[in-house]
This record gives sequence, structure tokens and C-alpha cells, in this order.
Amino acid sequence: MSGHAPPIVAVVDDDPRILESLEELLESAGYEVRIHSSGASFLARDISKIDCLITDVGMPAMDGFELLARVKQLRPELPVFLISGRRDLLQDRQARGGDTEFFFKPFDGAALLSALGNALKRRLADGQQ
Amino acid sequence: MVEDEARARAVEQPLGTLRSRPTLRRLLSGVWAHRPQLVHLALFVVAYVLASGFAQLLAIIPGTGISIWPASGLFLATLVLVARQSWPWWVLGGLVAELLGNAFWFRNPLPVAVLLYVGNALEASVGAWLVDRTCKRPIRLETLKEVLALVALGAGVAPVVSATVGSATLAGFGIQSFATAWPLWWIGDATGVLIVAPLGLVAFQNWRGKVQLSPARWVEAGILGVLLLGAAALSLSGHYLPFAYIIMPPLLWAAMRFELRGVVVVLALLALITVAFSLFGVSPLASDPEAQKQKQVMLQLFLAISAFSALTVAALSRQHQQALLTLRERERSLRDLVETLPAYIWCTTPAGEPIYFSQQFRDFVGFNVGDKDIEGASRLSAVLNAIIHPDDVVTVHALFAQSLATGRPFALKHRQRRFDGQYRWVETRAAAMRKGDEAIVQWSGVCLDIDDQVQAEEALRRASHRLARATQAASLAEFSATIAHEVNQPLAAIVAHSHACQRWLSVEPPNIERAKVTAERISRDANSAAEVVNRVRAIFRQAPHPRSLEDVNRIILEVCRLMADEIAAKGTRIDTKLEANLPLVVLDRVQVQQVFVNLIRNGIEAMDAVVDRPRTLDIRSCRDGLAAVRVEVVDTGDGIQDAERAFEPFFTTKQHGMGMGLAICRSIVEAHGGRMWMANGATRGAIVTLTVPAVASEPCGHDGESFPADGRPH
Repeated sequence: MSGHAPPIVAVVDDDPRILESLEELLESAGYEVRIHSSGASFLARDISKIDCLITDVGMPAMDGFELLARVKQLRPELPVFLISGRRDLLQDRQARGGDTEFFFKPFDGAALLSALGNALKRRLADGQQ
Repeated sequence: MVEDEARARAVEQPLGTLRSRPTLRRLLSGVWAHRPQLVHLALFVVAYVLASGFAQLLAIIPGTGISIWPASGLFLATLVLVARQSWPWWVLGGLVAELLGNAFWFRNPLPVAVLLYVGNALEASVGAWLVDRTCKRPIRLETLKEVLALVALGAGVAPVVSATVGSATLAGFGIQSFATAWPLWWIGDATGVLIVAPLGLVAFQNWRGKVQLSPARWVEAGILGVLLLGAAALSLSGHYLPFAYIIMPPLLWAAMRFELRGVVVVLALLALITVAFSLFGVSPLASDPEAQKQKQVMLQLFLAISAFSALTVAALSRQHQQALLTLRERERSLRDLVETLPAYIWCTTPAGEPIYFSQQFRDFVGFNVGDKDIEGASRLSAVLNAIIHPDDVVTVHALFAQSLATGRPFALKHRQRRFDGQYRWVETRAAAMRKGDEAIVQWSGVCLDIDDQVQAEEALRRASHRLARATQAASLAEFSATIAHEVNQPLAAIVAHSHACQRWLSVEPPNIERAKVTAERISRDANSAAEVVNRVRAIFRQAPHPRSLEDVNRIILEVCRLMADEIAAKGTRIDTKLEANLPLVVLDRVQVQQVFVNLIRNGIEAMDAVVDRPRTLDIRSCRDGLAAVRVEVVDTGDGIQDAERAFEPFFTTKQHGMGMGLAICRSIVEAHGGRMWMANGATRGAIVTLTVPAVASEPCGHDGESFPADGRPH
């Protein structure tokens, strides 16, 4: 991964307003953003260049958990962030732990960016070892 | 004889079918099958011979023949008692007896004796056949019909045959003229039937039955016997025959009090006394020879009329007794019915005073009618106060008084105190019993224990209530999750956008273009969030309820009634102190009901933890100044820490509360132009107070006044 090229973050959500705002936020923080309105459209593309995935949980057809499972098969090391408006859906997952991080809508932009930055840094460090 | 009869009955049916195709052979085999026991036949022959001798004893007037012929009664009674198929045997036995009697006493030539017997046998057969046809077997002479049949057919018609055959025989053989012989013969046989046939019937019917008389009755029978003997001695010894009729009172007495048995004993005695006096020559019968013949007729008539009268009176008395017994039996079965019905039965006078409790009702309440009587108070009040639940007693009293006044039926479900102090739900119904279409003579009521049904219904209602609340809660949770999501989405976008906007503006140099685009999106998403809120409000906005003039007290009482189950289930008591004649208020009835439901529920829940004192919720209403009504709901809970915050939305002290109740209540009260606040009580508990302005300055009228939905009084 070249030091000049900005990290690529993919966002999957069925609500265009969320996609738009996250694209805006991530771009303002200097990331390159790929937006997808469904898990299927994300998986249809080449995901080998992606550095991080942010996905909504509650989506029609394939939900966030299923997408997460598929992605972990293809790229187990890829950091994934789950976002949802419904705490109850995420709480039991959270209790089970794992490296997946959760954000509840409406999330704090700064917190999301800093978590994203940390994850990428950790990944970079792992890659260098 | 009894066995004969049983045998006769057993084969009656096949014989009945045989009778339609009679052949001599079958007839004979039927007669053989019905042969009587030899002993019975022999007894009959002996009795017949003795009866002939008895007749001979009385025949002391030369040239007049027999005065009383007891054998006719014996023969007739025998044929009435035995099966008809066995008659040939008895007729044969009678022939033997007749010939024996002739050999002993009468000494008529054989042809005469046989011819006389043909008359006697025809008489008995015709008489028995007629009586048999008229009355149903067994003939007990217990009804007037049976007595009249015996008297008219057995003693009246049948002797005509015997008298005619006998007189013709005597005339044919030149012994006596037909005209002289016939009347004496007829009366002699009739008297024999009247006296001996009942005796025979009674003797055979009661062969094994024991006579059960109380000591008093034995004394009575003794006195009667003495009187009878005295009267008989007087009447039969005198020279003036009509005097004989003083025998009538004791005879009728015997008939009335001792019925058929008494009559037959007395008649037998009378006949014996007559014989005795005739033998010793002191009877009117034994006076000068010219009048003897006429007097013999008189004596026969006397005995016949006595027997007829006594038998008739005995049958009437018996019939009356039977009717009384039937009536008593019917009364007893009716009482049994009332006492065994699975219901509590009672009666009152037309004025409502209880006069009868059925045994089951007595067992239920634990006392009998009249046990609760108090000097100076009505029995009805005493009973009602003793058994009706204090909360129901006023209603029961009022409704029953109304029924008593109008005569309309009474029906009510209420709680009734059992003997052990437990109150049970019963359904009471009562109706007036009238004499024809006229005045009420009695009120009859029935109480059914419906406690189990009521409990089951209540449990069902509670369960469905819980279910409804759970469903409501679940759908509310679902709904609020949907709203939250709808609002969260634009909010999340706004937050992310605003952060991005901030970043675009804070880079060096600031990216104004991107910031502008982002800001536009913020305002677009904010509008979309506002739109969601508007939509939610539109969903919740209901069509305004019509407002009407209402009595606040009535609404409070209604709500208390609606919530009675909930209140009782929580072990709470509600005390209402409602000021009478409050001014009316224009209000939305449903909404205000909702307010009171909420306040009562809050109050009850505030006392959930209370164990050291009674859980009492006081609801008071009063005037507030000139033109307002004030209601206070006071609990005995622990009070509230921050009274003013209680009305804030989402403020709750409950584990599973929404915290919207009091906020909504206040908004409803304020929508009615009123105010609502909360404070802690002087020692404990919380007081929620609300006031609403009254529009009508005049107080609300009597209970039950209603107004149309537009709020204008009629």
C-alpha cells in the first residue's frame, strides 16, 4: 500500500442520506470512499483494494451480519464497522465480543473517524510485522 | 284363594286370545287349569252350609220362608274374588253345599232343592259378572262407585233372578204362591248380599293385613260397641219398630270413623243380635202372628237400609280420606321438590315480609325466617341487612321496594353472606303470585349461587385485560421503534454532515463549496426529520370528541366502577368523598375518564410497596370558588420527591413506565381550561389536584340527568 494513496473505505447502507453523509464525512477526512446501496452490489465489485468496510445492519435482502460473515470469508483481516439504529439488534453481538466495532445512529462523526483511523493504523502495523 | 287369583292372572292373557275361538276342549282345559285348592272349596262349602243354617234359624214364622239368605252374599263375594275361569268349580261346590243344607234343614224334595239352587247360582253369577264388569278388580268397596255397584247390581238386580226362579219353583210345587214368595225372597237375598258380601270382601282382602289402631281408637271402638249393643237391645226388644232406627247414629259413626271394616263388623253384630232376639222371642219379629209377616218385611228393610246407608257413608268417608291422603302426598312431594331443588327458595308476604326459607336457603344463610326479628324493625330489613353485602344492600332494598310497589318481577345479581361469613355472588329472581288476575297474595323468590361463574368470568376478564394491555404495550414498543428509526436516519445523516461541514471549513484553505453543499444537505435532512415528526403527530391526532355538560362526580363513580376489578386485585380500597350538587362542567367525557383512570392507577401503583398501613386512595370532589370544580386524588404511598418534574414527559418512577401519563393528563386538563398539580401530603402520600372551570352556575340536578352531545341541556 502506497503512502500517498488515501485509504479506501467502502460504505454499505440502503438509505441514500446515510450514504451521502458518510461519503461527505469520510472525504472531508481525506479517505477515498466507495458507496453501495446493498451488500450484493458491494460483493459484486473487487474488494481486494478496500481498506475498511462500514455497513448498516438493518437492510433488506442481505443484512449487515450476513455481509460481515461473507466478507470475513474473503478477507478475514479487513476491519468492519457495523452501524445501526437499533441497539437491541446489536447488543447480543457486542456481548460476544470480536473485533467488529459498533456504532449507533446518530453516531458522533469524530468518534467514528478516530476509530476508523485507529483500525487502519493497527492494520498497517500488522501488515508491517 | 289368593294363590288362585295369582294363577288366574298369570294365564289370563292366553285365555283371552283363546276366548275368540272357543272350543269345548280348550274351555275345559282352561277350567281345569283354574281349579281352586280343595281346602278353599271345602271351606266355601262349610260356610255355605252354615249360612243356610243361620237362615233357617231366622225363619221362625211359619209359611213365610227365609227372611235373610246370607249364602247369597257369600256366593257373590266368592265369585267376585276368584278368577272367572274357576267359577264352574265354585258353582259345583255351591250345589254340594245347597244339597247338604237341604238335607240338614229344609228337607225339600230333591228337584225343588236343585231348582232353588239353580236360581241361587244364577243370582251369584249374574251379580258377580255385573259387579266385575262395572268395577275394576280388585274390588275393595273403597269408592262410592264400587259400593253403588254392589248395592244396585249385586243386591238389587241379581236377587231378581233368584227370587223369580225360587218363587216359580215354590209355586210350581204348590208350596207357596208366587206373589207371596217373591218379595220376601228378593229382600231376603238382597239383605244377605248387603250384609255378607262386604264382610266376605273385607275378610278376604285383609286376610293377612294387620289392623293397626292407636289406644285412643281402641277406646273409641269399645265405646262404639257398647253404644251399639245398647241401641240394638233397645230397638230390637221394643214393640214399636220405628224405634229400631236409633241404631243409625252408632252405625254411621262406625262408618265415618272405622270405614268399611267398622261397617262390616257392626252389620255382622247387628245381624247376630237380630238372630239372638228372634230366637228368644223378644224381637218385634216374634210378636203376634198377624203382624209378623209385615214385621218381617219391615225388619228385612231395616237391615237392608242400614247396610246400604252404612256402606255408602263408609265409602264416602274412605273416598274423602283417600283424597286427603292424596292431597297430603302431593303437598309432601311438592315440598320435597322445593327442598331438593338446587336453589334457595323463599317467600314473602305481599308487603315483602319474609315468611318462608327453604331448607337449603336456611342452610346457606345459617338461620331461619324470623330468627333475625328485631322489635320495632321490619323483618325484611333485618334479613337483608344480615345477608346482603353492604355494598349491594341499598340496591337490593331499592329494587325490591320498587317491585313490591309495582308488582313487576325482581331480578338482580348481588353478593350474599353465607353462614360462615363468606360473601358469594347469587342471582336472585322473584315474582308476585296473584290470585287470578287480582291482588298479590305472595312473593316467591329463588336464589342461584353463581359465584363460580362470576369468579370464572372475572378471571377471564382480568386475563383479557392483561392481554389487551400487553398487546398495547407490544404494539407501542413496535411503533416507537419505527418512529425512532425514521427519526434516527435523517439525524444520523445530519450529524455526519455537520461534522463533515465543520471539517471542510476548518481545512486550510477552507473548502467553501463542499461546506455549502453539506450545509444544504443538513437543512434538507432536518426537514425530512421534521416531516417524520409531523407525520407521527398526524397519526396521533384524533378527531375531537364532542364535549358535553357532565357531572364530574358521576364520571368519578363510573371510573371507579370500571376499575373495580383492578382496585380489588391490588388489595386497595377507594374512598370517595364527593360534594353533592357540584356545578356541571363542559368536558370531553372520554378524555376526562382517561385522566381519572390514570390518576387512580398511579395512586394504586404508588401504594404497591405499602404493607404497614391500609392502602387507601381518597378521591374528593368539591367546589373551587364560585365557578370551578376541584378534584383531589390522595394516596397513602411514600409521596414523591420532585413534585413538579412529575408532569414532565418521560419522567417516571416506575420500572416499566413510559412517563407520559401525568404529562398527558395535565395537557387534557389544560385543554379544558383547568390546572393540575401535585404535592406531598402532610404526613405521607401524594396529592394530585386538578381544577376545571364550571360553566353552569346552577348545580347539577338529580342523578340520571342526561344531555345531548352538543352540551345543551334539554
